[in-house]
Parts: sequence; structure tokens; C-alpha cells
Amino acid sequence: MKQKEKEVRLGLDNAGKTTILKKFNGEDIDTISPTLGFNIKTLEHRGYKLNIWDVGGQKSLRSYWRNYFESTDGLIWVRLAGATLLVFANKQDLPGAGLDLDEITTHHWLIQGCSAVTGENLLEGIDWIIDDIASRIFTMD
Amino acid sequence: MSVASAERKSKKKGGGLSGLLRKEKEPVTEEELLRKEVITPDDVHRLSGSMENYLCPPEANIYGIDFTRFKLRDMDSQTVLFEVAKPPVPEGGEEFDSDDMDPNAGRFVRYQFTPEFLKLKTVGATVEFVVGEQPVNKFRMIEKHYFKDKMLKCFDFEFGFCIPHSRNTVEHIYEFPQLDADEIREMIESPYETRSDSFYFVEDKLIMHNKADYAYNGGT
Repeated sequence: MKQKEKEVRLGLDNAGKTTILKKFNGEDIDTISPTLGFNIKTLEHRGYKLNIWDVGGQKSLRSYWRNYFESTDGLIWVRLAGATLLVFANKQDLPGAGLDLDEITTHHWLIQGCSAVTGENLLEGIDWIIDDIASRIFTMD
Repeated sequence: MSVASAERKSKKKGGGLSGLLRKEKEPVTEEELLRKEVITPDDVHRLSGSMENYLCPPEANIYGIDFTRFKLRDMDSQTVLFEVAKPPVPEGGEEFDSDDMDPNAGRFVRYQFTPEFLKLKTVGATVEFVVGEQPVNKFRMIEKHYFKDKMLKCFDFEFGFCIPHSRNTVEHIYEFPQLDADEIREMIESPYETRSDSFYFVEDKLIMHNKADYAYNGGT
């Protein structure tokens, strides 16, 4: 049976979560509206079943984020106990994009510079999180 | 963490001996399910063919869940094969104002494709849905596709929690079931004998049942 992975990506509104998701899936990114709920993608990549939850980042939605953590293997953007952390540092060209992740010692993490618009480094980031989750699962076996 | 959560899930469903027995459960018929008050995911997994009737009334959807868009794209050529969207209801207007409207309108869709469609390898199917004013827990879809009595594909996906008043999308990217040349020919020659049932559950109770049928003889 194939491994199923669940990955949740959260972040402040207008950070580019949906754009990354769409770019990764080869979709048109010209018209993206704020996400007023979730966008889920289920896909197979390198033999894994990957379920990606992209949850809206607006203030009114943030109190619902906790509903999406259950049995999550990877979290993109914010920290979560027990999960691998991948930060897509989107909009690197804009000022104020700094993040302080050095204080996180309890989780594997990676900051991956990327561009949601050109697609640069998106696949590298996803490959990293899959490798990392896989290595943890195989160690547990 | 994945391993731990998988174990937790199987325990919830009753692992061990009861889990083994569960797999050997007898198939269930549509008639038997129509007599049941509450229909569960387990019940519909035991069905072995497409349904003649709807297993719940439209009123069972007390959550205001409404499908508003459907899109299908070919992942290999990155082209949208088709897209249908429900027009928004005008402010203060009634969606339907006629009493003699078919109560099952909106629960059934007929698709007409060309034979080329059966040659697709990887497709992405997107649905968009809105949720009413109350939060929805453990929202789950089971969709079974049949040609005549043969099951071609079964999706079982748990969306989980849905935010009140939210608009959500789900895209399933999957490989088309492998069909041999004889099966393809038979499907083309038997319009509307390819059918699907989509069952939607909230907290393991059936709340929506939609149906579709398919023809692949368009343009021939």
C-alpha cells in the first residue's frame, strides 16, 4: 500500500499559498482570489499520495486553522509539533521578508527561497519535504 | 507520525479480529439500504453496482452544502477539457420558484464525451462547493464509477472540517483507469451505461447523493 501524506499550508493572507499550489500543479495563476475556505489538491508524486490543504489566511479564518492539524505530516509556513516544516519564503524580492527559524530545534525545517510566479524552486521544496517525511517514517518502521 | 496516526485510525475502525471480519462483510443491496434510517460510509462501500434510486432526500443536506463548479483538465497537455459553474443566486431571489420543478434537478448530470476522452492518461477533476452558516465536521466523499456492473474507480476522500460560509475547492489528480481495447469499444458503443454515484457524509451520516452518467460516442 502506498504511503499517504497530508500536508497543510498556512500563512498570512496574501502570502502566495494558493499561487504556489497552482503553479506547482501547472495551473493558470493570473487570476487568484483570496481563499475563503480551503483548496485541496490530491496527487501522486514519486509514488506517494500527497494531500495538500491550502487554508485561507485571512484574520477571520485563522481561528479555524487548528481544525486542520490532525494527522498532518508536513506543515508549510508555520510551526507544528511533530511535523516537518517547510517554509516557502515567497516574495523574497520584497522588503520585510525576514524570518527567524533558528530558534526551532525540535523540528526539521528548511527555508526554501522560491518564486510562485516563475515556479523557481517549488519542486525542490516539495521533494525535500517528501524525502524528510519518508526518512522519518522508514526510521520508525 | 504518519505511522502513529495510521494505527490510531485502524483502532478507531476496530482493528484485529473485528477488522478482519469487517472486510468479509456481505455485499449490501440498494433495497436494504433504502430501508435504513442512517446510511454510513461502510454501507456504501459494500454496494456492488450503481444505484437506481437516491439513498437520501435532498432535504438531508441540512448544512447548505452546494456544489458550484466542476472542472476537468488533462494534466499531460495542461488543457481544460470542460468547466461548468452554477450562476450565483441573485440577492433576495429564489433559486427555483416553481412547484412542479423536478425535486432531483441538480442531483443528476449527464456527460457526453468523444471517444478521445477514453485515451486520457492523467486528469485533474476540481469541484468547488460552498458551506452554509454552521461548521461541518468530518465531511467525506465516496464516489463510485461503474461500467455496467464493473467498478472502474472508487474515490474515498475525507475533507474533514469545513469553515462556516466558506467556499472550498478540491482537485483530485489521478490516473485514468487502464482499459483494454475491447472495453473501450464497448464503452463507446454503450452510451450512458457508464455511471457514477457520489455519496457525501457528515460525521459518517449520508447527507447528499448525486448521480451522473456518461456517453463516449460524441462526434461519431
